[in-house]
Amino acid sequence: MATSKLAAAARRNEFIANTIVVVLAIITLLPFLWFVVMSFKPADDIFAGIDGFFFKPTLENYTSLWSDRFASSMMNSFITSSVSTILALLIGTPGAYALSRATMKQERTMSLLILASRMAPPVAFAIPYFLVYRYMGLLDTRLGLIIVYLTFNLALVVWLMRNFFDGTPRALEEAAWIDGASLWKTFMVIVLPMSGPALVTTAILCFLYSWNDFFFALTLTRNNAMTAPVEVVNFMNYEGWEWGKIAAGGTLIMVPVLAFSLLMRKYLVAGMTAGAVKG
Amino acid sequence: MNGVRIEGVKKAYGAVNVIHGVSIDIEDGEFVTLVGPSGCGKSTLLRMIAGLETISDGTINIAGRVVNDVPPKDRDIAMVFQNYALYPHMTVAENMGFSLKLQKTDKAKIKSAVDGAAEILDLTKLLDRYPKQLSGGQRQRVAMGRAIVRDPEVFLFDEPLSNLDAKLRVQMRSEIKGLHQRLKTTTVYVTHDQIEAMTMADKIVVMRDGKVEQVGKPLDLYDRPANLFVAGFIGSPSMNFIPAEWTNGKVVTQGGIELPSASSAGGAIGNRKIVYGIRPEHMTIAASGIPATVSIVEPTGAETVLLLKVGETSVTAVVKDRTTAKPGDRIFLQFQPGAEHMFDAAGGARLS
Repeated sequence: MATSKLAAAARRNEFIANTIVVVLAIITLLPFLWFVVMSFKPADDIFAGIDGFFFKPTLENYTSLWSDRFASSMMNSFITSSVSTILALLIGTPGAYALSRATMKQERTMSLLILASRMAPPVAFAIPYFLVYRYMGLLDTRLGLIIVYLTFNLALVVWLMRNFFDGTPRALEEAAWIDGASLWKTFMVIVLPMSGPALVTTAILCFLYSWNDFFFALTLTRNNAMTAPVEVVNFMNYEGWEWGKIAAGGTLIMVPVLAFSLLMRKYLVAGMTAGAVKG
Repeated sequence: MNGVRIEGVKKAYGAVNVIHGVSIDIEDGEFVTLVGPSGCGKSTLLRMIAGLETISDGTINIAGRVVNDVPPKDRDIAMVFQNYALYPHMTVAENMGFSLKLQKTDKAKIKSAVDGAAEILDLTKLLDRYPKQLSGGQRQRVAMGRAIVRDPEVFLFDEPLSNLDAKLRVQMRSEIKGLHQRLKTTTVYVTHDQIEAMTMADKIVVMRDGKVEQVGKPLDLYDRPANLFVAGFIGSPSMNFIPAEWTNGKVVTQGGIELPSASSAGGAIGNRKIVYGIRPEHMTIAASGIPATVSIVEPTGAETVLLLKVGETSVTAVVKDRTTAKPGDRIFLQFQPGAEHMFDAAGGARLS
């Protein structure tokens, strides 16, 4: 039967495609898995080769982290990332909306300039920041890090949200104006509620950018405001490299990244504006 | 004066003029359609009345007040958009009550206004639904409900039926007309569909290239179009235009066929080249008259559309009687006496 032949061919192709995906996933995830497994190994088994393949899982690497400064560095990471994200959204979203609806001649150039600040290599900013911060006493403070992250996240927010606003139908806003809403009210009551998914996606990207930052935290903090990624590196010291702690710390840092990535997958499926205009 | 008065209104985007001094008087309670081909400026004019576009020159007066610098929310208007523009995150009831909520009307009053409008539009069962759960026709009704709830001075419609299928369009057309007869609110309705304009309006404004071509009652426009453009735009199928020459009271085509002219204008026209206009429905097949060759026969049941050649000119005739004419047949046409229109071949202006 021709149909069953076709069906068999389709099944075979699907099988081949799935196999390739699984193999690629294993190749990509293997270092990550090895890292996570390592975090549960007793220190002696970490480089035990084949003998270390079978081990008794332990939480000692994690518990030793909490007695260390690691907890406070996680806190620093969390505070700087969240605050910079929230501020970037608060300032950037109305800005993006204004840029999207503006009828200025140079509006496209302005948007590009804002994005350009995001493209420059961090090292170009690090030294000026360091010098200015030293002068202002912002070195090794959470506020200092928040300001740095804010400048970068703001560019991201303006760019992403502007593109989103460009794609939303203006008729809705015009309808709201005619219904009696002011410009600001229209933004708050009509535009923002429709932007939920875009805002969440943007917020997650901002948070992850700050959370994953290593370079600025390394150059601009010493002790008080040190974030988790830098703290992990400090486990490599002259007394020896504490691989167990490095693995446990790294795994903990990855948790929010994973959680947010899963969340984002859900939110990336747009559909909020379905039904607003002719559908 | 209530209603809307538009005086010498112009609109320019930079150096490009899109509306060139338009003046229209819309009486209180009148249903006026702005009709014309796309790009004629009718939607721009409507958006200027709404306050969504600035006015480059001239004045717009709503209910006795010049509104040139009044923001949309203070113009006491309601608008129905082509794509409905329903707020996707609000239910039907919230959509309809939004304007009252902004005015800080108390909840009981909003509810009674929304319920009232919902009843008129048969939306009562849908009040808790979201726009995405509605069909096109229902969304259209909600958009109208949102306008009704406000009880505005003027309703503005921007091609509200163009996203609906043909059957629904005819139904909604009657509903909008019925609604206007009931509420008697001044209405400005933009459409590119001359049938919509003819069937709904008290007064039609025909526009082209940012200028008003003619203003009048639907049947006046049909009976006495001011120029070739209006003559060709109003009526379906369009009026036939036959190039001809007016010589001493006689109309003769370039092919030498004499066309009937009972026109009283007679001698006032003077000898010149003209365009002779006759509507398809004003022709009948007869035993003698103007000779024509049948090209295509389109029976629609109620009537038959014939595509013919009179000399070198293609003409369309709509006849009530069933006909046995076949492509290639030679037939004779009679024109209804006095139904002809004469236009100046040079400027297109009406002569008779």
